[in-house]
Amino acid sequence: MSETNARTTNLLRGAMAIGAVGVVAAYFQTGLERFWANWLLWFVLFFTVGLGSLFIVALEHLVGAKWSVPIRRIPERVATLLIPTVPIGLIALGALRVLYPGTRPEALQNKVLAGKAFWLGIPFFSARAIVCFALSLLALSIFVGGSLKQDKTRDPAFNVRARKFAPAFMALFALVITLVAFDWVSGLTPEWYSDIFGVYLFAGAFLAGLAATTLAVVGLQAQGRLDGVRGDHRYNLGGFMFAFTVFWSYIGFAQYMLMWYANLPDEVIYFKARLDGSWHVVTLVLAVTHFVLPFIALVSQGSKGEPQRLRRVATLMLGAHVLDIYWLIFPVLGRTPLFSWPEVSFALFFLGLGLLWVRGAMEKGEDMPVGDPFLAEGLEFRL
Amino acid sequence: MNSEAAVFRGVIPESLMDPPLTVGHVSPGSLDDQVLAFPERRPPAQWYIGLAITLSALATGLGFIGYTFYTGIGAWGNNSPVFWAFDIINFVFWVGIGHAGTLISAILFLFRKRWRNAIARFAEAMTIFAVMCAVIFPLIHVGRPWLVYWLFPYPNQRALWSNFRSPLLWDVFAVNTYFAVSAMFWYLGLIPDIASMRDRTTSKFRKVLYTALSLGWRGAASHWQHFEKAYLLLAGLATGLVLSVHSVVSFDFATSVVPGWHMTIFPPYFVAGAIFAGFSMVVMVLVVVRESMQLKNLITMAHLDVMNKVILGMSCIMAYSYGMEGFTAWYSQNEYLQHGFMNIISGTYGWAGWLTITCNIFVPQLLWLKTCRTSYFWMILVAVCVTVGMWFERFVIIVISLHQDYLPSSWHIYKPTMVDFGILLGTFGLFFTLVLLFARVLPVIATSEVKAILPGAQPGHGGSHV
Amino acid sequence: MSEKTFAVLGLFESPDALMHAIPKVRDQKLGRLEAYTPYPIHGIDEALGFRRSPLGGMVMIMGVVGAVTALAFQYWISAIDYPIVTGGKPPYSWEAFVPIMFEVTVLFATFTAGLGMLLLLNRLPFFGHPVLTSRAIQGITRDRYALSIEADGMALDAAAARAALAAAGAADVEVLAEPDAVPFLTSDYVMRALGGIFAACVVAGLLMYAAIKVIPVMPPMVHMHEQPRLNPQAPSTFFRDGHGMQQPVAGTVSRGHLPIGAASQEEAALLANPLPRTAEVFAMGRKAFTNRCAVCHGALGTGVGSMTAAYGAKPANLQAQRFRDYADGQIYWVISMGKNAMPSHAADLTETQRWAVVHYVRTLQRAQNAGDQDMNAAGAR
Repeated sequence: MSETNARTTNLLRGAMAIGAVGVVAAYFQTGLERFWANWLLWFVLFFTVGLGSLFIVALEHLVGAKWSVPIRRIPERVATLLIPTVPIGLIALGALRVLYPGTRPEALQNKVLAGKAFWLGIPFFSARAIVCFALSLLALSIFVGGSLKQDKTRDPAFNVRARKFAPAFMALFALVITLVAFDWVSGLTPEWYSDIFGVYLFAGAFLAGLAATTLAVVGLQAQGRLDGVRGDHRYNLGGFMFAFTVFWSYIGFAQYMLMWYANLPDEVIYFKARLDGSWHVVTLVLAVTHFVLPFIALVSQGSKGEPQRLRRVATLMLGAHVLDIYWLIFPVLGRTPLFSWPEVSFALFFLGLGLLWVRGAMEKGEDMPVGDPFLAEGLEFRL
Repeated sequence: MNSEAAVFRGVIPESLMDPPLTVGHVSPGSLDDQVLAFPERRPPAQWYIGLAITLSALATGLGFIGYTFYTGIGAWGNNSPVFWAFDIINFVFWVGIGHAGTLISAILFLFRKRWRNAIARFAEAMTIFAVMCAVIFPLIHVGRPWLVYWLFPYPNQRALWSNFRSPLLWDVFAVNTYFAVSAMFWYLGLIPDIASMRDRTTSKFRKVLYTALSLGWRGAASHWQHFEKAYLLLAGLATGLVLSVHSVVSFDFATSVVPGWHMTIFPPYFVAGAIFAGFSMVVMVLVVVRESMQLKNLITMAHLDVMNKVILGMSCIMAYSYGMEGFTAWYSQNEYLQHGFMNIISGTYGWAGWLTITCNIFVPQLLWLKTCRTSYFWMILVAVCVTVGMWFERFVIIVISLHQDYLPSSWHIYKPTMVDFGILLGTFGLFFTLVLLFARVLPVIATSEVKAILPGAQPGHGGSHV
Repeated sequence: MSEKTFAVLGLFESPDALMHAIPKVRDQKLGRLEAYTPYPIHGIDEALGFRRSPLGGMVMIMGVVGAVTALAFQYWISAIDYPIVTGGKPPYSWEAFVPIMFEVTVLFATFTAGLGMLLLLNRLPFFGHPVLTSRAIQGITRDRYALSIEADGMALDAAAARAALAAAGAADVEVLAEPDAVPFLTSDYVMRALGGIFAACVVAGLLMYAAIKVIPVMPPMVHMHEQPRLNPQAPSTFFRDGHGMQQPVAGTVSRGHLPIGAASQEEAALLANPLPRTAEVFAMGRKAFTNRCAVCHGALGTGVGSMTAAYGAKPANLQAQRFRDYADGQIYWVISMGKNAMPSHAADLTETQRWAVVHYVRTLQRAQNAGDQDMNAAGAR
C-alpha cells in the first residue's frame, strides 16, 4: 500500500518538476498574456475547489447535518488547498496589467470603464483580493483548525461555535465568491456584466468541492480507510452531485438564454466569442461533460452510491470544472482555443502541486472527526 | 483507522439537540383519533364565521371580475406605459406563495427531514390553492377573456399556432404543469389517509365516497413499495419543477430589455423570493391551524422555529439579490439602469422601494433571536411584513421599471383603481375559502406519513435518518 | 361466500413483531406472502422477497419521450408548419424551446409515476379485494400490522396457515374466503369504466362546444359581430326619420370648395390672387381655360367660341375695356358664382385652377392689347 503511495508521490513530484520547467519556459517564450491566462486558470481552480470544500463544511454545520459527520474531515482537508492558493493568488496579481483592461491607462478613454476606474484599478483590486484571501484563511482556521483540535480535546463546544459562525461564513462566502467572480473572471471583459455570475461561480465551486470530496472518500475507502462509511453516505454524495450538476446547468443556461433572447450587443459579445469558430466545439464539449454525461451517469437510483461510478463521475466533473474555467478565461486570448505545451506544462505543475498537497492533507488529523459528539449517529445513518 | 477504535459517543450540547418531532405521547391510533376526527364532526362556530368572511371577499372579487369582463380592461389602472400592473403582480405573488408547499413536500422529503411530515399535507394544499389563485390573472387580464383558449396550441381554422418563442407561453406550460404535478402529488399522498377515514366512518354515504376516493387502497406492502418509489420520483421531479416554474415566470421579465428587468440574476432571485413569501404564508396559516384545531403536539413550536430559520435564510438571499442589483446598476455604468435604480429608492414610488427593503430585509432580521422565532406575536409580525413586502417587491419590479423606461416622452404615473384592489381581495377570499374547506373535509396532517416517523414506528435498528 | 380460502391474515401489534414473524412464516412456504400496514415499513420489501419496482425505468423512458415530443412539436410548429421570425429570432430557436421541453418532460414523467403506479403496478382502483371487507382492515389502516398468506395458484391450507401465524406471534388471525365474483375485470367494472369515459367525453365535448361556439357570440362577448355603428343602407334609431343615411348638414362645405369670402361681385374686387405669376400657373390656367372657357369665350377670349351659335346667349368679350378694368377678384367671382347666362364653374374648377384662369385671362388681355412697353420688355431680354 505504501509502495503505491510512494510511487504515486514520486510520479507527482516528477510531473511537477517537468511542469515547472515548462512554466518557466512559457514565461519567456509564449508571451505574457498566455502565461498569465494559464496562471489565472489554475489559481481560480484551486480557489474554487478549496472554497467550495469549505462551503460544504460550513453548510453541514449550518443545517446540523448528522449523516455527513463521518466524512466531514475529507472536505476539511481539501479546503486546506486555500493555503497554497494565497501565494498563487498574490502572484496572480501580476496578471493585472497584462490581462485586465480596466487597469490600463487607456481605460480612461472608455466611458464605461472610466466611470468605474477606481474599482477596476490596481490598488482597490489588490486590496479586495487580499481581503478575500484573508477572510478565506480566517474561515479555514475556524472550521478546519477547530475541527482538528477537537480530535484531541473532544470538546463539543467546537460544534456550538461552528454552528454560530456558519451563518456569518455564508455571508462572507457570498461576498468572496462574488468578488472573485466579478474581479478575476468577468473583470477580463470589464464592459460586460452579468449579475448571476457570482452564483455561477458558486455553483461550479460547490460542485468541484463535492467532486473532490467524493473522489477522496472513494479513494480512501479503496485503501481500506474510512471504514464505517457505507453506501448510504455515498448515495447522498452522489445525490448532491447530481442535484448540483442540474443546478449549475440551470444557472449557466439561464445566463446564456437571457442574453441570447434580448440580443443586446453589449452582452451578446461575450457568448459570441465563445460560439464563433473553434470555440464552438469547446462550448459543446463543456455542455456535454459538465451536464449531459454526469446527468446520465447519476440519474438512476442505483448508480448514486456505487464507488466505481462515483469515482469516474467525480473525475469527469473536476475535469469539466477545469474546462469551465478555461472556457471563461481563454477566449480573451483569441479566436482559437489555445492548447499546447504551455497549457500542458501548467497542468502538470499545478495538478502535481494540488494532488501532492491534498494527499499530504489526507494525513492530517484522523480520517473522521473523532471528537465530534455526532459521529456515532452519523455512522448509523440509513437512507 | 477508526474501525479499530471505539466510536466516540459524545455529550451533545443542548443547543444542538434535535427537538422531538411530536410533543407528548402520540401513537398511530391516537393520531388518527386526533386528526381524522375533524372531518367527521361538525366544525365550531368560528369556522362558519371565517367562511362567511372569506366567501364575502371571494364574492366581491368575482363581482369585480365580472365587471371587468363586461366593461373591459379600462376598468383597471393599466395604461401606457404601465401595461402590466396589479394583474401580473398578483399572478407572480400567488405563484410564489405556492412554492413553499412544494419545497416542504418535495425538497425536504429528498433531504429526509422528518419534521416535514406533519406540515407537508397542509403546505401542499396551500400550493394548489395558491396556484389556482394565480391562474386567474392570466385568464382575466387579456382583452377578450373568452378567447383565452387561443393560448393553447391546438389545430385551428386560423392556421395559426401559439408563439413558442414567447416566455408568456412558457408560463402557460409551466404553471399548468406545476398545478397538475402538485395536484397529483397531493392526491397520491391523500390516498392512504382517505383509506383510514373510509375504515373509520359509520356514515354510509361517506363510506362510499371515501372508498371511491381512496381507490380501494388496502395498505399492501407490495403497493407501498411502488407507492414509495412513485413518491420519491415525484419529489425529485417536483423539486426540478419548483426551480423551473418561478424561473420561467422570471423569464417574463428577464428576457425583455426594460431596464431593471433584464438581469440574469432574476431566475434564482425569484425562486428565493417565492420560497420566502410562501414560507411566511405557511407560518401564518399553521399558527392559526395549530391553535384552532388543537394540533400543538403535532405541529410543534420546533416546526415553527425551523421554518422561521428558513425565512431568515431566504431573507439573506434576498439581501444578496438586492445588493447585486444595486451593484450592477453602478457597475454597468448604464444610465438607464442607474435611473431605474434611483427610482426604486427615490421618486414617486420610492416609498414602495423602501417598504420592500424594510419588510423583506430589515424586519426578518428579528428572526436571528430565538425568542422572536418562537413567539406568536413576532413571527406573525414578520410573516405579515414579508407577505406585504414581497407583494410590494413585485410592484417595485413591474410598476417602477415600466413607468419610466427609455423614452421620457412615454413616462407616466400609474394609479390602481378600486377594481384592481377588489380582485386582489377576491383572490385572498378564494385562497382562504379553499383552506377552510380543506380543513373541514380532509385530514390536514398526513397521518400515514407521521405514523411512519413516530418513535417505534420502524423495526428497531436504532438508525437515524438525518 | 365460496369454500376456497383466499388468504389467511395474522394481525400483529407492532412492526417489530411483524418483521420477526416474516422469516418464520416464509420458511414454511405455505403460499404467497403479503403484508398490510398503515404506513411503509423499512426493510419489509426484502423480507418478503419482492422484486425491485420497475417504476424508475418507466419514468425515465417516458421523461425522455416527453423531452423529444416537446422538442419535435415545437420544432414542427415553429420551423416547418408556419415558420415566422418573431422578435428577430430564427424559426428554429432551440434555446427558446428548452423551458417547455423541461416542463413537458416533468409532466410526462410525473403522470407516468402517478398513473403508472396506480393503474399498472398496483392495479388500483379496485374495490373487490377481500381485505377491504375483512375485520382486519380497520386495524390495518389505523395501527395494526398484518401478515397475509395468500393462495398461490394451488389451494391454501387454511389450518396450517393459521397455525403458522399463531406460532409466529399473531395477536389475531382471520381467514378470508375467495369472493364469488371475478376479482378484477368484472363486466360491471368494465361497463362502469366505459360508461364513465363516455360520459366524460360527452361532457367535455359539450363544454368545448360551449366555450368555442356559444359563449363567444353571447353578449357581452359579442365578438364584435354586433357593433353599435352605422352601416350603409341600414336603418338607424339614432335619427328621427329612422334612416341610417342622411343628407349632409346644411352649409356643409366640400373639400376644395371653401366659400369665396365675398358676398357680391363688388366685394370680390377686394380679393387678392394668391397664386404667383409663374410658368406652371400659366400652364395650369391655359389648360383650364381651354377646357372650360374657350368653348364660349373663344381661344383669345373674344367671345366667339365654338359653342356660341348653338348656345343662344352672347358670351362676354373678355378683351372689352369693361372687362379689362375688372379686378382679379371680380373675374374670380364670375367664374365661381356664374353671371347671367353663364353658369357657376365652381364644381368644375378648384379654387387654385380658377385663380390660375384669372392669370391667364389677364395674360390674354395684355397679349391682345400690347403696348410699346410690352414690346420693349420682350426685346430687352
